[in-house]
Amino acid sequence: MKPNRLILLASLVALAGLGRAATNDYFAQGIRFSSAGQFPEAAAAFGQAAQARPAAGTLVNLGIAEWQRGRAGAAILAWEQARWINPFEARAQANLKFARPVAQVDEPPLKWFETASTWLPGDAWVWLAGASLWLAVGALVLPGVFRRRRAGWESSLASLGFGIFLVAMTANVGVVTRADLGVVLKKNAPLLLTPTRESEIVSTLAAGESARKLRVRGNYYFIRTALASGWIARDQFGLVDAR
Amino acid sequence: MVLLWLLLEPAGLRAQVSFQIAPGMAGQFQVPQPPVEVIQAATAAVSFDPPVVRAGETAFYRVTIAAAESAIQWPDPIDAPPELKLGAAAHGQSAQVFGTQYRPATTFLQEIRATAAGHYTISNFTVSVNRQQLLIPAASLDVTDTNAAPLPAARRLHLELSATNIFVGQPVRVRVLLPAAEGKTVDGVRDVQFNGAGFMTDKTAMRMSITSVEVNDQIRPGFIFESAVTPMAAGPLSLSAQGFTAPPFSVGPISITSAGGPITLGGAGQVTPVFLVSDAVALNVRPVPLEKSPAGFTGTIGKFYYDPPRLSTNRMRVGEPVSLKVVFHGDGELTRLVPPATPRARDWQIIADPPPAIGFTLIPQSDETTHTPAIPFSYFDPETAKFVDLTIPPQRVTVVGESLPLQLAAADDELKTAAPLKLSSLAPAPGKAVTSLKPLQLRGWFIGLQLLPVLGFLALWRWDRRRRFLEAHPDLVRRLQARRALRRVKRRWQQAVVARDAASFVRHAADAMRIAVSPHLPADPQALVCADVLAQLDEAGSDRNRRLAQTVRMIFAVTDARFAVTPQAQADLLVLRAEVADVLQQLEEKL
Repeated sequence: MKPNRLILLASLVALAGLGRAATNDYFAQGIRFSSAGQFPEAAAAFGQAAQARPAAGTLVNLGIAEWQRGRAGAAILAWEQARWINPFEARAQANLKFARPVAQVDEPPLKWFETASTWLPGDAWVWLAGASLWLAVGALVLPGVFRRRRAGWESSLASLGFGIFLVAMTANVGVVTRADLGVVLKKNAPLLLTPTRESEIVSTLAAGESARKLRVRGNYYFIRTALASGWIARDQFGLVDAR
Repeated sequence: MVLLWLLLEPAGLRAQVSFQIAPGMAGQFQVPQPPVEVIQAATAAVSFDPPVVRAGETAFYRVTIAAAESAIQWPDPIDAPPELKLGAAAHGQSAQVFGTQYRPATTFLQEIRATAAGHYTISNFTVSVNRQQLLIPAASLDVTDTNAAPLPAARRLHLELSATNIFVGQPVRVRVLLPAAEGKTVDGVRDVQFNGAGFMTDKTAMRMSITSVEVNDQIRPGFIFESAVTPMAAGPLSLSAQGFTAPPFSVGPISITSAGGPITLGGAGQVTPVFLVSDAVALNVRPVPLEKSPAGFTGTIGKFYYDPPRLSTNRMRVGEPVSLKVVFHGDGELTRLVPPATPRARDWQIIADPPPAIGFTLIPQSDETTHTPAIPFSYFDPETAKFVDLTIPPQRVTVVGESLPLQLAAADDELKTAAPLKLSSLAPAPGKAVTSLKPLQLRGWFIGLQLLPVLGFLALWRWDRRRRFLEAHPDLVRRLQARRALRRVKRRWQQAVVARDAASFVRHAADAMRIAVSPHLPADPQALVCADVLAQLDEAGSDRNRRLAQTVRMIFAVTDARFAVTPQAQADLLVLRAEVADVLQQLEEKL
């Protein structure tokens, strides 16, 4: 490899290392602020860490800081995001179980394929689908290409691959539809009849209430909650996938 | 019986009455005030001050009537000889305590300038006082020639203003001086009044002092009355002052020594109130260019600045009030500083502090706000005639939302108390991380990544298809192999030409020719001879072809010579490189 390429590669590695170090600095800052009871500052630090590199632990701590400073909606959203990254994150699950009764909001109603998609991290399903599909295709095609008689185990492997692919695809659909779930961030957020500033208010939503985004127009999302549908300002509704 | 007693009992009760204060007792609650003496028969005293003046000098015709000002109907103007020119007139009321009674006295003052020497008399006349006619006695003024020796001038007040070219609304400091007369004690001045249309006097800015003052290039002890006036109208205005002399203290005479010399102060009872006036001072009052006024201009004129604003705390909960204090300083009259108007802000409830304090009580309405609102304020600087922005800048704050519980009592399905739900502890490490929360399924690059296996399988299919085709057409394989071998040998032949290596030149030329014709036969190239090559050339054609055939024969003759019993002399065949190149090109075209 030429020296210039080596230098470029080393620079990229160093930059990546610096970015990760900065993220860890924010995380450590957040821990210090939380220990000192300075929760707004802690939330800001954890927020910056999560923005630079979303991590389950960072989001759990962000949710705790937001809860301590009185923002139930932001806290529930952070814990949902932590669970989005790692469905097995115990702290996030426990905090959601504690916070929802306090905030008097319910869990989002999930369809069966969405429930299935929570068994593994969302990214795992898509890798699983890709790998199983090409494994099955390879098991079917490659013996012919290499002029070998297809063995029994290869047929079984292809069948298994296709089966896994079908299950994974269903879960992938669940992941995609779950990406439209979100949480109301502000207390008494107005649910509007039209996506305009002067619109009539259909209802007011509690902070932390879950809803599903259906459409977008300008600065408004059209959402459906358990009881009503309407438009809500974007800054008052946070999506789980933070789009 | 009991019922009858209950019914008749109220008849014996007395009604409640309010507490009555006896007339003698009520007097004990009131602060005693001396009564005002109502004089049935008012008296008048008339004089000229000074009684003798030179022609062209000013004297004051002073009439003092022992009655309230409102009770007197004074003629305006008064009748006077034509040689006495009437100037400005003034009048004022004073009250003196005599024993246990106030005694009002009103003085009318007429400025008079005699135009010629002589003895002039303003004859007696009557005025209505309390609906009764009061005779004002005659008074005389002696006017000497202008060349006569200077005479003592009439006592008058001196009015000084801090500025005379000012703006509407700009407070101006005024000083009324009363220098002590030659060899006399210092008199005070009371009931000071400023005369002039379009001015507002600030009663809160009054201050009195006794010090050395400079009048007509002479340092004398004098009494100073200071106040502030604010012009309320634009244009040329004039301002004068009037007041009564009064003892500066309520005790006996005091003598002190100052830098300007000894000062003797008169005591109470030694000074009879004398009504004095000052000359009028002209002012030029300009309007403030309000059309250019910035946000936050409240009408404050002067030169101001403030200490850094102080917030009682920069950390608060939603709904918790904090106070913002601002201390202003300035060269102008601070009492005329109009505080900034209370601004409106979405996330704050703002309440202005009651005057004279300048500050605000701020109540955050949301925990999303990070700064207090800017409070617009500006003033007009009369020196530069420009508006100066003095907006109170936003202060950084941290607002914490309403507190949420950290623990919740829980019960299981059988309503038995279970372990309480509570907030978890902090995660000690960031844990599992991702580059983005957006799912891979929705990312464009990942969908592109799925094309790679597809392309791989397509490439594999294409390779298998070509392989099968070549198996069905071995002649194509031979030609391809011959082309590759020919390109390789031709490169070596060209290197021999460059190196002028005749032996390599001949050997590689012959090898190239054999390789080029081998697919046509088909045969191993090493098994081919000159005739095989010539068979692929059209020897019977043009002279050029015959020459090329001859070149082939010469090349092969040299290569075949290595099998000869005796060594053969080798001619320099490098000169045939053009012909050899032609032969190779012709053979390659047939491949």
